[in-house]
Amino acid sequence: MGRTVGIDLGTTYSLVAYMDCETGRPRCIPGPYGTPLCPSVVSVDADGSIVAGEAARRRLLTQPDRTIYSVKRLMGRGVADIAEDVKLFPFRIAPESEHVIRVRLGDRVFTPPEVSAFILRELKSWAEDYFQEPVSRAVITVPAYFNDAQRQATKDAGRLAGLEVLRLVNEPTAAALAYGLHQEQRGHVAVYDLGGGTFDISILKLISSAEGDIYQVLATNGDTHLGGDDVDNLLLARARQDIIEHYALDINDYPEALQELRKDLIAAKHALSDSDAHPIRFPLPSGSVYFRELRRAEFQEWIAPLVDRSMKPVKMALADAKLKPQVMDEVVLVGGSTRIPLVRRRVEEFFGRRPHTELNPDEVVALGAAVQAHILDRGVENMLLLDVTPLSLGIETMGGVVAKLIPRNSTIPASAQELFTTGVDHQTGIDLHVLQGERELAADCRSLARFQLKVPPLPAGMARVEVRFTIDASGILQVHAKDLHTGEARSVNVQPSYGLTDAEVERMLEESIDFAEQDFAQRQLIEARNEGHAILHATEKGLREEAAAELPAAERARIDVAIGALRTAMAGTDYKLVRARMDELNQATANLAELLINRVLHATVEGKRLDEV
Amino acid sequence: MPETNSTTGFALTCWSCNVRTDDGQFCKGCGKIQPAPAGSDYFALLGLLPKLAIDPAALEQRFHQLSWKLHPDNFVRSGDFERSLSLDRSSQLNDAYRTLREPVSRVEYLLRRRGVRKEGATKQQAPPELLEEVFALNESLDELRSARRNGGSRLVDLRQKLEAAQQNFETRLAEVDAKLETMFSAWDSALDRGADESEQQELMARMNEILNRRSYIRNLVANVQHELAEENA
Repeated sequence: MGRTVGIDLGTTYSLVAYMDCETGRPRCIPGPYGTPLCPSVVSVDADGSIVAGEAARRRLLTQPDRTIYSVKRLMGRGVADIAEDVKLFPFRIAPESEHVIRVRLGDRVFTPPEVSAFILRELKSWAEDYFQEPVSRAVITVPAYFNDAQRQATKDAGRLAGLEVLRLVNEPTAAALAYGLHQEQRGHVAVYDLGGGTFDISILKLISSAEGDIYQVLATNGDTHLGGDDVDNLLLARARQDIIEHYALDINDYPEALQELRKDLIAAKHALSDSDAHPIRFPLPSGSVYFRELRRAEFQEWIAPLVDRSMKPVKMALADAKLKPQVMDEVVLVGGSTRIPLVRRRVEEFFGRRPHTELNPDEVVALGAAVQAHILDRGVENMLLLDVTPLSLGIETMGGVVAKLIPRNSTIPASAQELFTTGVDHQTGIDLHVLQGERELAADCRSLARFQLKVPPLPAGMARVEVRFTIDASGILQVHAKDLHTGEARSVNVQPSYGLTDAEVERMLEESIDFAEQDFAQRQLIEARNEGHAILHATEKGLREEAAAELPAAERARIDVAIGALRTAMAGTDYKLVRARMDELNQATANLAELLINRVLHATVEGKRLDEV
Repeated sequence: MPETNSTTGFALTCWSCNVRTDDGQFCKGCGKIQPAPAGSDYFALLGLLPKLAIDPAALEQRFHQLSWKLHPDNFVRSGDFERSLSLDRSSQLNDAYRTLREPVSRVEYLLRRRGVRKEGATKQQAPPELLEEVFALNESLDELRSARRNGGSRLVDLRQKLEAAQQNFETRLAEVDAKLETMFSAWDSALDRGADESEQQELMARMNEILNRRSYIRNLVANVQHELAEENA
């Protein structure tokens, strides 16, 4: 079996990493542009072909209506949830969106898991190119505060990308794993993770035991709609207002220019992490130039409310862990947005200690995912991760009140059993509504799923069905029911409130058969390149032998030409061509091979050892 | 399906190698993970007698030892059946630890197991000796609500009164918790002595009464906290 990679499927960037067994350290895999950061952007060409990553990001400027970014915000959400996002992001929501959002890219329509799958495919191909072997298993990270639907959507994306998702790991927990490996931390650790679109806080306890190190999450909290994106939108809203006032032009009317401006503002945001001011000179579609000096002081004033918003979850997580900020032994900063000096200062003030920033905040989550992938590949040897569920799980009871079954911050896997019966004679079904959230009323919680338990027609109260709700190690709900009269398991057909059914994922997999072929071609190419490398190596070694001097010049030239042709083919992407060039090289070297073999036989006769030849 | 003992639900033979097995987590013959005994008790899952005074550090250590063996991380490469067994066993272990870690949920669990405490059927009557204080408190709460509605001037005054009441009830809560702890030792020594069922029932009935009082006072405190928080908001 091939190796398992760790993937950070981020709002802005995604990364893939693996455990380097030689150094015992996780490493990020660079893509074709040399950086391990793959922009989480997907674009559909006019001919229907799809690109993801840097190539797609470039098209954000030229073909914004065929290109999508920050799709993570839509994962596992319903149309009503994203009303605010639609105002701020150029998401084109298709009218056929029901329990799953559908976005329009050019003339095609995709669900968020499908879009995410294109990003995952891109990362998968990076890893396959890097290892020169197929990669089919992954650990994917999710924000700790992601609910069941958001997690399930992420898992669906993996499946659609041809990856077996062995585990979803919470991003702050992954970061703690990477840091733990990095510097042997012990005690209580707070991980503050402000990413592109999501905010998480996790409080962990790191314990050394006879068996090894235990990473136990005590509590987690967060906001799945708070991140660098919000800072960008804030800057964009300010700039737009500025431009309307001074140039009587609404930049929103020019999608290409809007994306260009957004790009410049993000660059300015980055620059303000190191300098006190940054000039913006932006040529407007009208021909005039919008000029503004952005100062760090005003920038911090604008974003202060966003930073404040993150502190409420921090306090709640600490309260759940029954700990005071002062008792934290370590504080770790994760996510690109923690580069903002104001964020660092707030966190430092709150905990009263300098946070760790030694590991690259963009990479640390992917590195942790690689550590967990390694643990799953090898079995628990000396590291054990005990994570928690971020939200309470309950069922709706009489009057729309939620009965909590599994409280938030329970260590996962976690389960609860409930006994159900009928209220009416000859009733043949019991309706259940499963929810996630902390509020008392079902209407205020997140609906996860509805389903009906089938029961035999009996007098009221006679039927006895035991339902077992299990949250697995990825934080995803499983439901099993058992008829206590017969002891038989009852199948439960769960209709997710916001997500794809198994049947829908299956259908999408079938529809994406052409992508599967693309994967196959990719694998063939990798194999052909591997063999090509081996042949080139053997040929070049052979040519350095004494015996090679006996080759006629024309034949030697033919070999050189064939070598060049094979190298060119290997740089391309057509595996059939690589195979053809390999055959040609083999033919061209037939005489050389014979010469070498004769030489070996001769040497053996002379009593030399083979490896001296 | 493996053969099971109808009274204990323990698997008698290993599902994989058919060797006779005990109620351990793993088969002594082939080492494969075994199904959790049906209806197994949280105390037993953690290898404990149903005693109530538990050293939290020792409990945590035991929890971690079992987690190393049962966690699904160990079974990613196993077959579907073993994976589901690991999911069952490790979720039960986590449920057991979560329940037994806190003294109140621990004793509630014991009483429910023994049929002394019924889910959702706990009495919410004011303990007689608290009646007067409860009346006074409810009055203050009503006054606060109406004062807030009418923008009354007595808000600060009422607020102080409520804060004092809250302090008072929190002290009561601490008293109840102390009483519960004494009962824990009484229960444990009764078990050690091999006390008979009627003595056990009597101890459990007393603990149940204390729990009812505790939940009543706790609700009061929560109500006051809620009102004071509204006030701040």
